[in-house]
Amino acid sequence: MTVMREFTKGLWKELPPFRLVLGLCPTLAVTNSADNGLGMGLAVIFVLTLSNMLISMVRSIIPKKVRIACFIVIAASLVVAVELLMQAYAYPLYQQLGIFVPLIVVNCIILGRAEAFAAKNGVAASVADGLGMGLGFTLSLTFLGSLREIWGNGTWFGHAVMWEGFEPLRIMVQAPGAFICLGLILAGMNLINVWQARRKGRDPQPLTQGCGACQACHMNHEA
Amino acid sequence: MSAAATSVLLAMSAPPYWHCGRTIRQVSLYMLAGLMPAAVMAVCNWGLPAARVMALCVVTAVLVEALCQKVMGRELSVDDFTAVNAGLLLSFLLPAAAPWWLVMLGACIAVTLGKMAFGGLGTNPVNTPLVGWAVLFVSFPLLMDPNAMQLATDYADPLIRLRYFGVAAAEAIPFTDLLLGRQIGGLGAGQAGALFLGGSLLAAFGIIRWQIALGFFLGVAGPAALCHMLDPALNASPFFHLCTGSVLLGGFFLATEPANAPSRPLPMFIYGLLGGALTIAIRKYGVYVDGTPFAVLLVNLLTPLLDLIRPKPFGARSS
Repeated sequence: MTVMREFTKGLWKELPPFRLVLGLCPTLAVTNSADNGLGMGLAVIFVLTLSNMLISMVRSIIPKKVRIACFIVIAASLVVAVELLMQAYAYPLYQQLGIFVPLIVVNCIILGRAEAFAAKNGVAASVADGLGMGLGFTLSLTFLGSLREIWGNGTWFGHAVMWEGFEPLRIMVQAPGAFICLGLILAGMNLINVWQARRKGRDPQPLTQGCGACQACHMNHEA
Repeated sequence: MSAAATSVLLAMSAPPYWHCGRTIRQVSLYMLAGLMPAAVMAVCNWGLPAARVMALCVVTAVLVEALCQKVMGRELSVDDFTAVNAGLLLSFLLPAAAPWWLVMLGACIAVTLGKMAFGGLGTNPVNTPLVGWAVLFVSFPLLMDPNAMQLATDYADPLIRLRYFGVAAAEAIPFTDLLLGRQIGGLGAGQAGALFLGGSLLAAFGIIRWQIALGFFLGVAGPAALCHMLDPALNASPFFHLCTGSVLLGGFFLATEPANAPSRPLPMFIYGLLGGALTIAIRKYGVYVDGTPFAVLLVNLLTPLLDLIRPKPFGARSS
């Protein structure tokens, strides 16, 4: 039961890019098409699940003081594996994603889940957490990529979907479009939350809840 | 006495604050009056298509703002004419031959993303019409290029000439033509003489802050004069720079929007200077022939920083 809960929390309640607002570098940079978003997401699922699993397995033998370095080494080995696999089997995608594949190492989600979850929980729960977070990340990136590709290029996964004579809104596939889309999606998710809370007759929850183990919002009060 | 009469109603509103009896509506109407000469000249120069673009833009902006306020559950405040103002300013930056959907899309984006998404009047970090303009300009460079859209005219585009044919070709355009708006550009932005008339009257009456406008024009004219003095064969005169593109529109009407401009005289002046200098920098070194709207957008973002320049409170200890 708890494994199931760890898995599903990454799909909505702690959705990485749109709720935790983590991993924004690939979210903003590679989502100019749905294809790229999906490819990036799959790479992250692979790395995140395996790194969570490995870190959870060795969590008792990693010295506390050097844990971050150990997490990075594990994540980096997995990323190199992904990079080589992509070069072998998905070279066009690898060329599209470019520098952002190696940059998965420093993606905040990988380190964030390792530090906040895998280093404190068992293997099964950590794998579920990694899978859920990775899936949420992939779906978010594909969604954002689809929005941007449809409006900015008139296509979806490379197929034309808009009407004849549609003038693509080019800004959406450029850098500013990523920020505009992200802002609108965040606003939309907040709106959905407020609506849900209102329908159930509760006050809307503050959005600082569900930030995982991050205590940044409470630090000021303690200091 | 009834309960309603004794209860005190405290109303808080967003900036801009005016505490001298002037209302937002009144200021907007003055601004519209200041824009009227340019609107009339635009119709004279470009004919009914210009009137069509202006009308469509204004109507869309007002309708979208009303719709947003309805959806947000706010009181309708479109009767303060700020949406009319934003719509008209946006239309001034568009080519007169812009297709209808482009105009409506621009007005929609300007009002939703540029204004209502941040909470309505006075809360927007950058100028409302310029947000719509920037999205259109980046998305549809061809449709937004007045030089490519206005084929059936014998006017010339001074900035295109300056960029691609050199100073001599650019300065061959008579000065009176530039002032009378006989130049290709945004339909209202090119009406240099009319904008100067309207803008300087507004500045004289204190509707817009003269510090910003003066700073902006000095910022344009200063670097331009310097370059012109150093090498007249490569750099156009400061008067040419002032009368072309949307410098007059930017300095008088876009940079001075109170919500996005600093609120004290010295920061206002610096803000204007920076905007003007950026315009020249973009024109000289940038990819775009007219940098004014981008320059205004950029200095809008500097406003919070410039607002830190403030006097020491009376009696404060020096640290």
